[in-house]
Amino acid sequence: MSVRNSLLAILAAQPTHGYGLKADFERNTSGAWPLNIGQVYTTLARLERDGLVEPQGASDDGPRQTWRITDAGRGELSRWFGEPVESDPPPRDELAIKVLLAIAADRDDVSAILDAQRAATLERMGELTRQKQRADPERELPWVLLLDALILKAKAELDWIELCEARLRERSQR
Amino acid sequence: MSAILEFDAVTRVHGSGPAAVRALGPVSFAVEPGELVAIMGPSGAGKSTLLALAGALDQPTQGRVSIGGVDLATRSRDELASLRRRTVGYVFQALNLLPGLTALENVALPLELDGAALAAARAQASEALARVRLGELAQRFPDELSGGEQQRVAIARAFVGQRALLLADEPTGALDSLSGELVMRLLREQCDAGRSAVLVTHDAAHAAWADRVLHLRDGRFSDAARATLVGARNPAERGA
Repeated sequence: MSVRNSLLAILAAQPTHGYGLKADFERNTSGAWPLNIGQVYTTLARLERDGLVEPQGASDDGPRQTWRITDAGRGELSRWFGEPVESDPPPRDELAIKVLLAIAADRDDVSAILDAQRAATLERMGELTRQKQRADPERELPWVLLLDALILKAKAELDWIELCEARLRERSQR
Repeated sequence: MSAILEFDAVTRVHGSGPAAVRALGPVSFAVEPGELVAIMGPSGAGKSTLLALAGALDQPTQGRVSIGGVDLATRSRDELASLRRRTVGYVFQALNLLPGLTALENVALPLELDGAALAAARAQASEALARVRLGELAQRFPDELSGGEQQRVAIARAFVGQRALLLADEPTGALDSLSGELVMRLLREQCDAGRSAVLVTHDAAHAAWADRVLHLRDGRFSDAARATLVGARNPAERGA
């Protein structure tokens, strides 16, 4: 997650201080990624060094210092929104690693590993889906979109588990 | 609380002798009133066989299938037809509705076939359409409705009157994500209100609306995922 660009995105709407940035970021992303306030200040210092934000009004106001985005900051933000997110190299995926190593070791419980994972992932999807059922897509759009993202990631994991089983079965029948 | 649908050690074998193929079983499970149960598994695992047995469209080779406490093997062909009309509704991936009838007439049809008076059948159909939020489109013909709306009409018809059990085979298969989600949301609402459904699907995101997911493999429920509780909605949460 790019804290730098996230803070720029919030400052592009209006100037605010450190705590305001933390609160706005967490509200707009439904609290899925809590920000450490120390991290906000460190990032602001780097953004200022790079000329992407500047203090508004008297500087050295401490925690109450209000920050605004510069033209260079807006340019950097447009570049970030305009570029697809990089997915390479693949993120570390403990399930994939576990299954690949189990197959490599020729363990006889690969099928049980996949079954157990399916049960656990389905259970998590059920919980996420119940939260979506209770949510109001009009009033809680960020929350519903976040749940959609988590549900679809879980679905991708289940589809992968099914493919694993199908390929292992095909191999065992040869 | 007695089960609306019960499979007791059910096996279905096609053919006989050396050519016999076991399509399903033995499997045992029950669906309680208010429950939505999803069946998943690879092609050829026995999902369609299970659904046909649940709807009294096929008979088990061994074991017992009961609907509403009635052992289907003890009933005549006519009695089974009547049980299907009164208790069970079906939703398929496509071609659910008769094109020459309006949404309202489609939903009223099973009641009329069962001998209900026209006015009473229409009134109940109207209620069923309102429950899937299609009250205003009751006079439309199927080709004047979107795919998602047609599936919602099919759900209304499956649950019209006193029909308590819906059997669905990939009802969201041909729909875009948002229309599919609305179909699942409405199906969930109907079950939360006390009806029951068995849903065959390949889509885990849709199975996740169920209370339980049964995973079929080679005609049997797989071990760890024998009855994965995805919902485990308690009665208070369900509003029962």
